[in-house]
Amino acid sequence: MDHETREHGEHLIIAFSGDIDLQSSSQARTVLLDAVSRGQPLLVDLSGVEYIDSSGVASLVESFQKARKSGLDYVLVSVSDGARRVLELARLDKVFTIVSTIDEATAGGS
Amino acid sequence: MNTPETALPADADDGGRTQETLQLLADMGREFVSTGDLNAALYHAVEHITRYIDAEGGALFMLDESGATLTCLACSGETEITGLTLGSDQGIVGRCVQQDTGTIVRDVSKDTSFFKGVDEETGHVTRSILCAPLSVKGERLGAIELINKRGGDGLFVDGDLTLLTAMADSAAMAIVNARMAGQLVEQERLARELELAAEIQRSLLPEADEALPVAGVNVPARTVSGDFYDFFQLDDGRILFNLGDVSGKGMNAALLMAKTASLFRCLGKAIDHPGKLMARINEEICETATRGMFVTMVGGIYDPATGRLRLANAGHEPPLLVGADGTFRELPADAPPLGISVMLVPDNGYPVEDIGLEGGAFYIFTDGLTEGYTGQGQELGSHGVRALIETEKQAALGERLERIIAAVRDSGEALRDDLTMLGVDDSAPARKRSADNRTVPKIAQHLAAIEVPSNPDRLRMVREMISDCCEIAGCDTDARRDIVLAVDEACQNVIRHAYGGDANGRMGVSVWLDSGQEGSRLRIEISDDADPVDPATVRPRDLDDVKPGGLGTHLIREIMDTVDFVAPPVEAGNILRLTKTL
Repeated sequence: MDHETREHGEHLIIAFSGDIDLQSSSQARTVLLDAVSRGQPLLVDLSGVEYIDSSGVASLVESFQKARKSGLDYVLVSVSDGARRVLELARLDKVFTIVSTIDEATAGGS
Repeated sequence: MNTPETALPADADDGGRTQETLQLLADMGREFVSTGDLNAALYHAVEHITRYIDAEGGALFMLDESGATLTCLACSGETEITGLTLGSDQGIVGRCVQQDTGTIVRDVSKDTSFFKGVDEETGHVTRSILCAPLSVKGERLGAIELINKRGGDGLFVDGDLTLLTAMADSAAMAIVNARMAGQLVEQERLARELELAAEIQRSLLPEADEALPVAGVNVPARTVSGDFYDFFQLDDGRILFNLGDVSGKGMNAALLMAKTASLFRCLGKAIDHPGKLMARINEEICETATRGMFVTMVGGIYDPATGRLRLANAGHEPPLLVGADGTFRELPADAPPLGISVMLVPDNGYPVEDIGLEGGAFYIFTDGLTEGYTGQGQELGSHGVRALIETEKQAALGERLERIIAAVRDSGEALRDDLTMLGVDDSAPARKRSADNRTVPKIAQHLAAIEVPSNPDRLRMVREMISDCCEIAGCDTDARRDIVLAVDEACQNVIRHAYGGDANGRMGVSVWLDSGQEGSRLRIEISDDADPVDPATVRPRDLDDVKPGGLGTHLIREIMDTVDFVAPPVEAGNILRLTKTL
């Protein structure tokens, strides 16, 4: 798994790629929780994620809950087919805000 | 027509007087029979007889239950002595009661038995006394006493005594009848309450359901029972069951039975591990005093989909396991009954035995059955139960249990104890299981196998192997992705739960393609050498509760068609089998 963090206006974008599995999910968790603590609205780009398992999903859920508590927007962007399928199976696809592009996420001040 | 002993009053030869006397006796007799208030009737009787015989006063004394004292229950005349209590041998009235014969004392000053205390207290002067005992067939109840005849020469005559005796007999009979009626009413009230209790108790037993491979029978020795059984199906198809026996019989045992049965049903819906469930029930029962009563119980959970039976035995008679081949095996308890002490039960609950029924059957019964008489004063015994199970093996389960119970119930001997039996018959579920297996014919093609340490960094290798196998089996991209996820999650469970994070355990993953006329399926078996996993703990979490963790098992069950632990070839370790029809 790789990740990349960059600023986009007021937003913070974290882009993951590769496999988020049992081996890498603790690293993903740290990255996500650190990002939330920076206090910016968050865009999590999952376009490059080839595989995500339940532990990866758990990292998303935990950081999402933390962002919500801090009143921060938390949006999943460009979710790959594989990742979307896992979110559906976990019945979390309606819990997260999921958009197709970064522009869509930043437009309308959502 | 008059002998001195039975003479009516002196002027009885007057026909009108005789008529009047008989009328008085008849009236009093009628009032005694019809009264709802015995004390009032007795008071009237004393009043009438006093006036009729023309005495200054009259009193009715009753013996107390112990026979030690006499108390005035009713009196008439100038002196009020109601409530006055004497020793049961005190005074002329006491003598009359003790000797159970009537007496005329024409001058009390010449009778040493006379008790002066009353006169001293009341200022009344007693000259003569007429006294008749109240008794029925030697059962002494008290006496009626009249004081100081007014008319004539002021002396009581034999006829007066005859009349008083007749009235006393009639009153005594009325008192005995009233007491018996009171006892009968009380007995009937108790019987009605017992019947109501029994009805409630029967409603605690589950309704027979022929569709279920579990059935039970309960025949109380008395109206209410200290035995119980219960079974109910959980949402996932597994059946929770129990059979228990409360020490003692009667109402107190029935109440503890109701409590225990309710606890099992209520807690059983949340705790599906029999050992932990029974430990919890034990805590609840121990928390309140049970006056030395305790409960023996076998509780278990049976899965018709696999034939697996898990049970815990709290001090109960050993249940019988009957193999499909007819062999018997007893399963003795090595844990104490419920309600004795929390300290005696291990922290992780009652010991649990895990059994594969494999088409066989399982019976739990109370000692009322094994120690019941079969007709010639012979106890049925455990061997008798086995013989009956063998004889009746063709009968449907419910019918089979009825016939076994009938051997004791219909023997003509009084039941010594409640008869209770519960059976689990795996034969029909086993047939269904093997039919289900036949729908996928056995052409098993081994696609691949891998053995890796239980290290997260090897999961990628497993995923790649599974992905390749899916491709060989002809799965589309979505199915391949799903199956890879399910197997990955199952391997994570092995690493995290079976090995507790130890990266040096052995983990094997083997993939088969079972195919035939009815289609094909992918079969993946994941094996480890860790301590056996309790399948009950491997359950999907509640998705409404969105929290990290615990999601993997849900994903596996969501994706795969079947997820089962199968018996590993050696003692230790686990094999989880996942299948997916293609």
